[in-house]
Amino acid sequence: MTFFFLLLPPLVASLLAFLVRPYRAFVGWASALLSLISLGAAITIAAQTIAGNVPTWGLTIDSLGLEDVLRADSLSALLMVCITAVAALTLFLSPGVGRELRYTAPQLRRYQVFINLFIAAMLLAVSANNVGVMWIAVEATTIFSAFLIPLTLSKTSIEASWKYILISSVGIGLAFAGTVLAYFDFVARSGRIENALNWTTLMATAPSLHAEVIRLAFVFLLIGFGTKAGIAPMHTWKPDAYGESPAPLGVLMSSSLFAVATYTIVRWKAVADAALGRGYTDNLLLALGLLSLLVAAFSVVLATNYKRMLAYSSIEHTGLICLGLGLGPLGAFAALLHLVNHTAAKSLMFFLVGNIEQVYGSPLIERVRGLSKVLPWTGGLFAAGLLALIGLPPFGLFVSEFALFRAGFALNQPWLMGATLVLLSVVFVSFIVHLNKMLYGPPPVGVIAGQVDRLWNIAPLLLVIGVLVVLGLTLPVPLAALLEQSVEIIAK
Amino acid sequence: MNDILFSQLSTFGSSVVLLFGIALLWRKSLHAYTVVFQWQSVMLAGLLLVIGYFGHDVELYFVAVILFVLKVLILPRYLGKLEQRFGGERESQPYVNVATSLIASGLLVLLAYAVTRPLVQVSSLPTRGGLPLAVGLIFVGLFVVITRKKALAQIVGFLVMENGIALLVALGTYGIPLIVELGVFLDVLMGFLVMQVFVYHIHGTFESIDVDQLNELRH
Repeated sequence: MTFFFLLLPPLVASLLAFLVRPYRAFVGWASALLSLISLGAAITIAAQTIAGNVPTWGLTIDSLGLEDVLRADSLSALLMVCITAVAALTLFLSPGVGRELRYTAPQLRRYQVFINLFIAAMLLAVSANNVGVMWIAVEATTIFSAFLIPLTLSKTSIEASWKYILISSVGIGLAFAGTVLAYFDFVARSGRIENALNWTTLMATAPSLHAEVIRLAFVFLLIGFGTKAGIAPMHTWKPDAYGESPAPLGVLMSSSLFAVATYTIVRWKAVADAALGRGYTDNLLLALGLLSLLVAAFSVVLATNYKRMLAYSSIEHTGLICLGLGLGPLGAFAALLHLVNHTAAKSLMFFLVGNIEQVYGSPLIERVRGLSKVLPWTGGLFAAGLLALIGLPPFGLFVSEFALFRAGFALNQPWLMGATLVLLSVVFVSFIVHLNKMLYGPPPVGVIAGQVDRLWNIAPLLLVIGVLVVLGLTLPVPLAALLEQSVEIIAK
Repeated sequence: MNDILFSQLSTFGSSVVLLFGIALLWRKSLHAYTVVFQWQSVMLAGLLLVIGYFGHDVELYFVAVILFVLKVLILPRYLGKLEQRFGGERESQPYVNVATSLIASGLLVLLAYAVTRPLVQVSSLPTRGGLPLAVGLIFVGLFVVITRKKALAQIVGFLVMENGIALLVALGTYGIPLIVELGVFLDVLMGFLVMQVFVYHIHGTFESIDVDQLNELRH
């Protein structure tokens, strides 16, 4: 039942936005309030999984094998809470909720229809038990978000969305080929049964699958879902898409969608590990993780656009999470904690850059000067968020990066960890340099803060930075329980 | 006896489907792209019927019908419309010329044989001979997406890749569960519709559907 309260609110909100034309502000408010129901449902499910239950939902139609279509273990619950929390934040801070003059009514209507569908697809992806359905939902996220990137048509926004949809569709196609290969092996071994694509069934039969076939399947899956997660070298769409999206979509893509893509990789990694034993998938993830860090470090140094700079930072954190996933149970714990921290930090940052871009009218670092004077609140939070992203205490990312290094050294990987440290310092230094340029100096003529920097508009973001600080100082018990249970599921 | 016939038919059918994919590489007009894709889909639907018949799987008939409606009737109609608008533009100079493309596609099929060796070894299905061809078709579709400059040609490359995956599904597993199959068709349709909207956008903004003009975004 709880699944209905999770999945239906965004669908209802989307339908409402579709039916009400022209767009009215109450639609935005309705979808913001509905998102709280989803959030409540996600927290309920999380509480159930912490208590040791695994909620499922399905139809009892004979011979179709639909008994547990939706299933939420701790890992799913963790993702659900992340997605719904960011979604609620996004919908409350969306254009069209307060007074907003940047977009026309049809644009706002389109925005509300597709952003809610996008959220629903992400939630379906993490609650589906069937890996085929999971794939369908991930592909659907591509389609819905592609409608939103060019909310205002321009050469650059069209370029970004074309590259995004083409690269993602092709990548996700490869992921489907990987899914089929795994299913092929299952059928070759155990014959056809209807719910063979259920993750639980796959996990149960994984030890008997053929190692060679699963290796091939995992490569396809890693490339495919890795494209969606933006792991190097499949990351090329990321700076374009993040740079050109409207701020709220950038928030959802960089935090939630990325988390969903990582989740799909984690699910398949668990199956592959059960079939192959540890080692194979770990090495692949370590290699790609290090490559992502390398690409990100050099790109951050050269960045001239602050939105793209954040996208490169996403690639960096993707790399860190890949490294963590390849470093055994300790590493997996660090990676999942890092995923939560990164979700919070990135959702903060993309809202702030949305404000900065609105005031300065340019996404270029060199055009943004005197941020601390023009927008004291936004500038202050931006600085704090950037320091959080480069892993300084007292923010959560410091703790998870520390845990990651501990896991690496525990597994006797000093060279790998050393290289990681060097690359992180490169990012560290260039972030500080870019930040310095933006915060200080004389502001350009004609820049007026207007409504943007009022405390009321910023208040929800203080909540996010609060979460980051709490996660930096302590690990709340429910979160620790969720993480530990998730690690048990994926890294037995 | 039946098995031998089945095996020969499925391998032959897969080869024809793959050949249509490779045919994309030496055709230049956008019209040819649509026609090639359409005929490939006809062959694929036929092959699904054959596999359904010999493999005793009724679901595959159903899948074949949907595939026929979607990829032979609906999508080519949209492609035709796009082609009428933008048909004057030929795929004049792809990033890789025809001769090199054909050699590359040969290498891709060889690569497909190399990577699918474990599949063919573990499988006892009569259709296993076609598996490398299906993976080859996926690679060729990918190659078309990467090397063509016209947005429309890239879309057809994507669709050809989807056909390769559908072929892999049919040959390797005689069809995945129907609910997933339906979802995949829906996604292909939606994805295609989004892409074709973007072709209009690209043309409206750049006055051509050459994607090598899309190069403003760096750093």
